[in-house]
Amino acid sequence: MIQLFLQKFRESTMSILIISFLLTGIGLIALKSISTGHEGHFLQQSFFKQFIFLLPAIFAFLIVFFIPRHTIHRYIYGLYGVMIVLIIIPFLGSEIASTFRWIDVGLPIGFQPSELAKWIVVIALARYLSDHNLEMNYFSVSILPIIIVLVPAAIILTQPDLGTAIIILVPVLPMLYWVGARPFHLFLMVAPLVSILTAFHWMSFSIWAAIMLFIIYKAKPNLVFSISTFFGNVFLGLLSPVLWGILKVYQQKRILTLFNPEIDPLGAAYQIIQSKTAIGAGGWFGKGWGQGTQTHLKFLPVQESDFIISVIGEEFGFIAILILITLFTLLILRTLRLAYNVDDRFSSLVLLGLSTIFTAHVFVNFAMTVGMIPVKGLPLPFISYGGSFLLSSYVMVAFIMNLSIDPKDY
Amino acid sequence: MLKAANLIPQKRLYVISGVVLLLMISLVLRFFYLQIYFHETYKKKAEVNRIRAIPLNAPRGLILDRNEEIIVDNYPTYVLNAIPGEMLAKRKNFQIISLCTGIDTVLLEANYKKYFRGKFLPVRLAKDLSFDQLSRIEEHKQDLTGINYVQFPERYFPGKINAAHLLGYVKEVDQAMLKDLNVKDKYLYGDLIGWRGLEKVYEDHLRGEKGVYFVEVDAHGREMGLSTDYLKENAIPGKDLQTTLLIPLQKMLEQILDGKRGVVLVSLPETGEMLSMVSKPDYPPDLFTGATTVKEWQEIISNPEKPLLNRMTHGLYPPGSTLKIITAMTLMEKGNINYSETIDCSGIYEIGDRQFRCWKETGHGKMNLEQAITQSCNIYFYHVVQRLSLDEWSEACKAFGFGNVTNIDLFSEAKGVVPNSSYMNKQYGRWGWSKGHLLNLSLGQGELVVTPLQMMQYVNLLAMQGVAPEVHIVKDLTKKNYIVKNYSQRTWNRIEKYLQNVITSAHGTGKRANTNIQGLKISGKTGTAQNPHGEPHAWFIGYGEKDNELVSIVVLIENGGHGGETAAPIARRVFDFLFSSKDNMKLAFSL
Repeated sequence: MIQLFLQKFRESTMSILIISFLLTGIGLIALKSISTGHEGHFLQQSFFKQFIFLLPAIFAFLIVFFIPRHTIHRYIYGLYGVMIVLIIIPFLGSEIASTFRWIDVGLPIGFQPSELAKWIVVIALARYLSDHNLEMNYFSVSILPIIIVLVPAAIILTQPDLGTAIIILVPVLPMLYWVGARPFHLFLMVAPLVSILTAFHWMSFSIWAAIMLFIIYKAKPNLVFSISTFFGNVFLGLLSPVLWGILKVYQQKRILTLFNPEIDPLGAAYQIIQSKTAIGAGGWFGKGWGQGTQTHLKFLPVQESDFIISVIGEEFGFIAILILITLFTLLILRTLRLAYNVDDRFSSLVLLGLSTIFTAHVFVNFAMTVGMIPVKGLPLPFISYGGSFLLSSYVMVAFIMNLSIDPKDY
Repeated sequence: MLKAANLIPQKRLYVISGVVLLLMISLVLRFFYLQIYFHETYKKKAEVNRIRAIPLNAPRGLILDRNEEIIVDNYPTYVLNAIPGEMLAKRKNFQIISLCTGIDTVLLEANYKKYFRGKFLPVRLAKDLSFDQLSRIEEHKQDLTGINYVQFPERYFPGKINAAHLLGYVKEVDQAMLKDLNVKDKYLYGDLIGWRGLEKVYEDHLRGEKGVYFVEVDAHGREMGLSTDYLKENAIPGKDLQTTLLIPLQKMLEQILDGKRGVVLVSLPETGEMLSMVSKPDYPPDLFTGATTVKEWQEIISNPEKPLLNRMTHGLYPPGSTLKIITAMTLMEKGNINYSETIDCSGIYEIGDRQFRCWKETGHGKMNLEQAITQSCNIYFYHVVQRLSLDEWSEACKAFGFGNVTNIDLFSEAKGVVPNSSYMNKQYGRWGWSKGHLLNLSLGQGELVVTPLQMMQYVNLLAMQGVAPEVHIVKDLTKKNYIVKNYSQRTWNRIEKYLQNVITSAHGTGKRANTNIQGLKISGKTGTAQNPHGEPHAWFIGYGEKDNELVSIVVLIENGGHGGETAAPIARRVFDFLFSSKDNMKLAFSL
């Protein structure tokens, strides 16, 4: 059995695991820097805890790596059902920080079931799309896959956790595209959302309307369909400010909090300014390990998790950021290449979905620390402090390495 | 099932890889723009002019009495903070501070450890600094890098009244506490939070909102002046809390009860507003603010008189004869009693092999219901209560709110016990209890225990003939009514007449509560509750009415002996105070 395992291990794509370890190492160095300023007990430092979290993460990696692919394929729907139950349970439990993300497992650490949802949804979707020989030219075929992602995303959105909900939604688009959906259909799925968001700013709404016209013209569907799509979206856009006005102030606030959960006395804008200052002050090579004054000011409440890039950017500079982005890009492109090469469609879709999750995490996290997009609480894979997510990241790596091997007798 | 082959056109791989590359390149460009292109700007911002956010602490709202006299106030103190990452010489700094303020360096060191949160966050070294100490620190400002001070409003009690159990106290939020709060983001270490009594119940109302201002700081931690980049946000003080208390009355009663153990409660039955709530012995209300020494604390908790116990809400006492009213009313309503029927009280009553005694050992002679209430004859009630079952009697007590909380706006209260047959079965076994227990219970003795606050609700229901708002300390019109349904108007009227007799009749046990005030009609009942730990507890409950103004009173003196002798005279002082002058009436009734 051990021999079998070693053989499987040798045949897998080691570069994926090596990149993951490199990234984890960089994360630990950054956490150590944050921890040194504290006089708290060594065992309570985030550096040490993250180090301990690595053990279950690697354990989970080994298990997942060894599960035969047909077993994954067979049980994924059941797992999907269990996952739905798990993400509903926290609503029945106690409130932590007035949200419902955590399950109290009786340990000193809580577990976040929405972490599981990310990859379970991708694998369940992969099975659906590969089992059914779908004629992807019809738009209606995309309905059930969308439901598969929409149900968990909606539950997680009400927790409220917009970041994770987005991560769960995003893979469905490339996965549908992968198996042959027309890009125009994907456009139809995204269009209403963009219409609603742009509606609050007339310039962006006009630009969006023009883009819509262009795309619909290029796609050449029949006349009735084009007209109804275009005006349906315009109508939705015009309607949304009206609906927004009808909402009570506290309801508006609740929705706004979704987009900006870090409501602190100093304001989210202030936080972004601090983060940008920290990163900008880093220059080419940074101020050196443990020397980041901006990040040590702790104006960033979640600097060891969501804002860890500010620490790295300030202390190690642009070169370190470049190395990080390169490593992540290599990891993702390598996975995409594997997705293209692998023999069966199920594995291919899983690999594609997981690489999408990594891409979304990396992009959103980097982009928010420099103010490219509004603040959302999304951690950076392998780097950010947090046990649940570290474990989840290594599980995803295990799936990638496991499913990218040509199926022989494992 | 893994049969679907992976046949993906290469174009799709290129499209998706391309999208990923585009996203990543946009990130690289953005970081290049910030870190290289704009590096100088940000470097300056970060190193030359660091911005420090300094919190402005908001004072808590005041607590006022019904005439807007201040009960709890704030006074400004100063808190000394250190920024660890900016201190050049910690030990030297501490020595200078110690010289300036007289605070031991060991204490400074201990506070530094306790409140440390991070290299560049303020650590509280000392609080309650006087202006004197501060000006000496200001003189040494040159040598003290990384040290600053902010104003901090501390709770202050002008000392007119104690009312410590009622007002509660505030605590400083510390690390352990912050973990348990479910509104974590609202509080920082060192903030004040209401921890007991009104301070806790009305925390959201009393609590202010912090402000913040920003100063620019150079690399050595010296403040360079206000930042122009960020606007100052003023602190918003907490809202004042107007209670229904009447300071002069509270003050008088606290003096009367000084040195005794007991409770006096005064309220307005028509609204449920509490005018006065005294529980003695108590403790100074500022015991928990500032530095409580270990010795002071030890003294308080080891005191056998239990000053920390709020006897109003958590003291459990047998109610004694004050409960005869319920027994009588239930019998009257059921038609189980003949008003002219007399029973001969010889001072002793035997049932089985047990003897029950009247409080008057020589006996009252022939008694009817009216006389039995007026003179509080036990033997009469031993006879007639046997016409009720234990459960009928216990239901009647529960209807008046006994055995349940009153819902007063205080942190917590005890429920007391009203035994019924299933309770007694559990306690003594199915055959282990007998009629004798009922006799005892109906006189307010034995397993039945109540809180003085429940007695207040009971008196208010008697005064309002069955419909009275729940008692409360902060004006609240939404308080719902307690309703006692089971009695007819005739019964209510008759019992009121009897209760007036208790005060006015020559043999009435409550005659010492009577005043000479014209037009004041007082009703009441005394109680003398036996207890195994010494002298009986003395009760007086009652209400007085003049010019359509109604006031109700509960007096309890622990081990005070006869209710008529020790408790009733205190009630008289209250009636005298409230109704003797127009001025006092105005203070009490015009809210």
